[in-house]
Amino acid sequence: MSQNLFKLCFVFLVSFHGSVTAQNIYGTEDGSIQFHSDAPLELITAACKEMKGKVDLDKKIFAFSVKISAFTGFNSPLQREHFNENYMESTQYPYAFFSGKIIEDIDYSIDGTYTLRAKGKLSVHGVVRERIIKNEVVVKNGVISIRSKFTVFLADHDIAIPKIVYEKLASEINVEIKADLLKQ
Amino acid sequence: MRRVLPYLLTTVITLSYICPVEAQIAGDSYFQLEKDKKQIQINTLFKDNIGYLYAGTDNGLYKFDGEKYTRIDFTNTEFNDTVTAIYQDRKGLLWVGFNSGRIANVENNKLLYINPEEGTPQRKITAFLQDKEDNLWFSTQGEGIYCLKKNILYVIDVEDGLSDGSVNSMAITDNGYIIAGTDQGLNICSFKNGQKKISIIGPADGLPDYIVTAMVSAGNNMFWIGLQENGFCLFDFNSKKVLVPEVSKHWEHGQINSMLLAQNILWVATQGNGFYKYVLNGNVLEKAPDNIFDKTINSMIEDMQGNIWLSAHPYGLIRTHGESLKLTPIPSSPPFEHIHVVLGDKDGSTWISNKENELIKLTTKNNITKERKLKLAGVSEKTDITSLYQDVNGNIWVGLIGKGIYIVDPFTFKYRIFKENSLFINSTILSITGNKNNVYVSSLVGLMVIEITAENTDINTLCRFTNYDNVSTGTNYIYNIFKDSKDRIWFATDGNGLTMLKGNHFTYYNDREKIKDNRIYSVAEDRNGNIWFSTASAGIYKFDGKTFTNYGVNEGLSDLKLSVLKIDPSGNIIIVHKKGLDILDPVTGDISYVGGSQGISNINVEDLGAISTDTSGNIMVSTEKGILTYSFPEHSLQKPTALIESIKLFLTDLGNRTSNIFEHDENNFTFSYTGLYYSDPEKVYYRYTLEGFDNNWIYTTDRSKNFPKLGPGVYKFRIQASLNKNFSNASEDSYSFTIKQAVYKTWWFLLGCAVILISLIYLYVKHRERELKRFQTLKQEKIHFQFEMLRSQINPHFLFNSFNTLISTIEDEPHLAAEYAEQLSDFFRNIVNQRDKDAISLAEEIETLNSYAFLQKKRYGDSLRVEINISEEEKKKYKIPPLSLQLLMENAIKHNALSEVNPLIINISIADDAYLCIKNNINHKNKKQTGAGMGLQNIVTRYDLLTNKPVRILHDDHLFTVLLPLLK
Repeated sequence: MSQNLFKLCFVFLVSFHGSVTAQNIYGTEDGSIQFHSDAPLELITAACKEMKGKVDLDKKIFAFSVKISAFTGFNSPLQREHFNENYMESTQYPYAFFSGKIIEDIDYSIDGTYTLRAKGKLSVHGVVRERIIKNEVVVKNGVISIRSKFTVFLADHDIAIPKIVYEKLASEINVEIKADLLKQ
Repeated sequence: MRRVLPYLLTTVITLSYICPVEAQIAGDSYFQLEKDKKQIQINTLFKDNIGYLYAGTDNGLYKFDGEKYTRIDFTNTEFNDTVTAIYQDRKGLLWVGFNSGRIANVENNKLLYINPEEGTPQRKITAFLQDKEDNLWFSTQGEGIYCLKKNILYVIDVEDGLSDGSVNSMAITDNGYIIAGTDQGLNICSFKNGQKKISIIGPADGLPDYIVTAMVSAGNNMFWIGLQENGFCLFDFNSKKVLVPEVSKHWEHGQINSMLLAQNILWVATQGNGFYKYVLNGNVLEKAPDNIFDKTINSMIEDMQGNIWLSAHPYGLIRTHGESLKLTPIPSSPPFEHIHVVLGDKDGSTWISNKENELIKLTTKNNITKERKLKLAGVSEKTDITSLYQDVNGNIWVGLIGKGIYIVDPFTFKYRIFKENSLFINSTILSITGNKNNVYVSSLVGLMVIEITAENTDINTLCRFTNYDNVSTGTNYIYNIFKDSKDRIWFATDGNGLTMLKGNHFTYYNDREKIKDNRIYSVAEDRNGNIWFSTASAGIYKFDGKTFTNYGVNEGLSDLKLSVLKIDPSGNIIIVHKKGLDILDPVTGDISYVGGSQGISNINVEDLGAISTDTSGNIMVSTEKGILTYSFPEHSLQKPTALIESIKLFLTDLGNRTSNIFEHDENNFTFSYTGLYYSDPEKVYYRYTLEGFDNNWIYTTDRSKNFPKLGPGVYKFRIQASLNKNFSNASEDSYSFTIKQAVYKTWWFLLGCAVILISLIYLYVKHRERELKRFQTLKQEKIHFQFEMLRSQINPHFLFNSFNTLISTIEDEPHLAAEYAEQLSDFFRNIVNQRDKDAISLAEEIETLNSYAFLQKKRYGDSLRVEINISEEEKKKYKIPPLSLQLLMENAIKHNALSEVNPLIINISIADDAYLCIKNNINHKNKKQTGAGMGLQNIVTRYDLLTNKPVRILHDDHLFTVLLPLLK
């Protein structure tokens, strides 16, 4: 399943690059994604500035992906190792994806601040969940800036927390996304 | 320590009982569904037309009987799928939709995928519907909606104009339009005469949100619409208008997952925020209880008993009491045992007392209960409040031990002591009740009836009263005073039965033969004017003016001791006892029960004042957890539904067997049954009978019964379920079946056997008769032959010839004479020895023949030649009737002319391993011999009797051949 999805997203991303006729495609190569786990004994924060994504404003569809191993900023190198090897198993599931459709109709030609919902499939740790994620969108001078905060439940994605670190790792991970999408 | 130990024990026992599957929190029960120690997620709930609940889960489909889950497997047990939608069509067929997009039916308690020619969807099935033309509709998450019309599958999707392929819910209008709730608003679809028509209701038409997540019909072509972000709204199909209730205008409770319309309430389940109750009449939104508040609820369903079930992962199913039970928590949480009085007032507030005998007024708004305390001057911890009553003007009457009566204004909290009647000042008040404009007070100093007028709205206005002395009621200890619809006043006395006052005349009902316990606690009147009263230890009584009818454990009461009677708004008699409430229908006599598993336990019944009714007539009791209000759920069935769940024949399910006629050896039946009662499945009692086997009812709490080795006959298994020992109106399910008589016991089989037996005997007798006859004939023939033989052998001609030959031999060859005489003697001995036998060996016969040939050769010399081509082995192997060969040789000599030129050659050989072939050449004598054929005929006849094979005689110009069948 995750493999297929990976291929699908890949094709999707590549097809954006390849298509010449598409008019209203916006994308980013350096979107930032940050998460923090607010457990009773430890606060863990990590971030990555390599989130890639494309949005087709005409078709109202989108796809974003981020490489798990690119996250940095953990409390210790060992923690990062645990993150990659024990929890996310990033060699087996190297990417997290979110792709789907945009619900609201917005006129992107007018500068302003909007909220819109993205409904799609979120794949983390190889487990796909359907999610609706709310975004704050700022359109200014042809740049579409998106900001979003959402929660990922570890149990939803079959990420098991060993009892011993139960106090150190929250079962709900708060994720924050910021990206400036430019016309491609 | 002695006081603590029972508590500890109780705690330990309770814990071990509750964990791990069922845990109770404030009356809600949790029923988890586990597989390999992992909670299975329940996605959808469904109630079938019998009332059975189904749970669609990530591990397939489960049936739920209120206690346990039973998985419904696929016909192919290797299949598994995530159930996302369940539906039952009008024919009762269950439809199940899966996350995979596939669809299955439940047949014979097994899931069976259906495979339409057109293929199945690839996306999650979200809902089913059946329209008036019996077409089946189902919606998908991404492929629009499908319609199964006369076995052809049609699709309505984005290409047909659907605003979005993700359809989350469906509803149908009175005139057959399908309303699809999608990620892009509502789509109103019709599909008639091959024409698909779609119109869209979106944010532009006033819908507060794009994404429609849930939908439920509100009747009159109105639909409640649940939204992803902005709460819920009402869609009027006729006017195509969207109405947004005030409470939903600034919705901050997250995504709506599911909605349910039940008990005049729209129940709204959310993602992560528990559930909300939207009271339709009041436009009020109530929050879920705290324990459910932050949960994600996927689905909701109302059971037959009026409980509302929620599915929340990972908690499994949660049973809540719907509107029937409401718990009012007390903020200051006074110890339960100190609450002596409870009163529900006209404004919906609740009045109670605490340990310090302060008066507490509880007011609940938006699920938050606030309390206001009133300290009455002169009242202390020792002067308990015994009774509370709200009069017609709304003022609260407070009765105390040793402190008389206080009257309190419920809003200002101003109060005064009732001093009008000097007798009652500082008296001990037992009970204050009332009726319309009367307030009745019973005390240790006597009884008083107070008249209330409009002027008494001001508590300071003095009241008019009448005193009754103790003598008139027979005792000064009166628990309850009750005025009925005929203006009779009933006094429930402690030890002197029931006393009735009509006009100025007292009637005493204290005959111990009629009322077993004369300690009467409370009195009530039903709609038909019957008086009901409860006793201290003998259950309750109904008095119809003439006779007393007792209701005890056998009639269905849970407890005989200490009970209080109230009449609820539906006219039911509510009997409150320590363990719970018995609800008695005065018309049918049915008694149902609300108790421990609904969160009611340890009710304070010792204080009669602690049981009250609110203005709607709902019962209020004080329990450990707070003040509990019980109202009989409308349109609910407060008794179990008996249901035969499976019938097994030799431990194998009957499956798709439709015939209920069984062979004689199909005689081991196991019936599994249930009494569906979702409020408290453990409380269900059963009784069954197998008519045709045993006509007694067997009472049990088991859920299955096996009948091994049933004999042939016609049977009817009947099962009834009840909440108590009274089965007179119990629901029943039954199964009739017939076990056939064994074939070997049927009359036609026995008759057939007799006919065959008689025929066989007849045939045997006939056969034996024939055998005897044949034997007889054979014997006669033999005698006849012997006679013939002897006659021919003592034929003087032969003898003379033999003697002449002997004489000439003596003369010419005296050395041969002795041999000749020996041969002659041998020959005659053989004849004599063998004549009685049926058959002799060929060797013996040939020996005889040789002797005979020797004698004849002496006479005829070389004119007679005998050639025998038979091996010694063959001679021993075969048998032949005696003297046959001799006879044939005699015949040959007799009928032919013998000469040296033309000698008679007799050849004997074996032909085809089956015949002895005797040939001789023919040399006719000039003169024909008479009597020819007699000897030959004799041989033929004898053979006929011995064997089936015929003797064959071949006769031509040169050869005369006789073929004698060889016997073995």
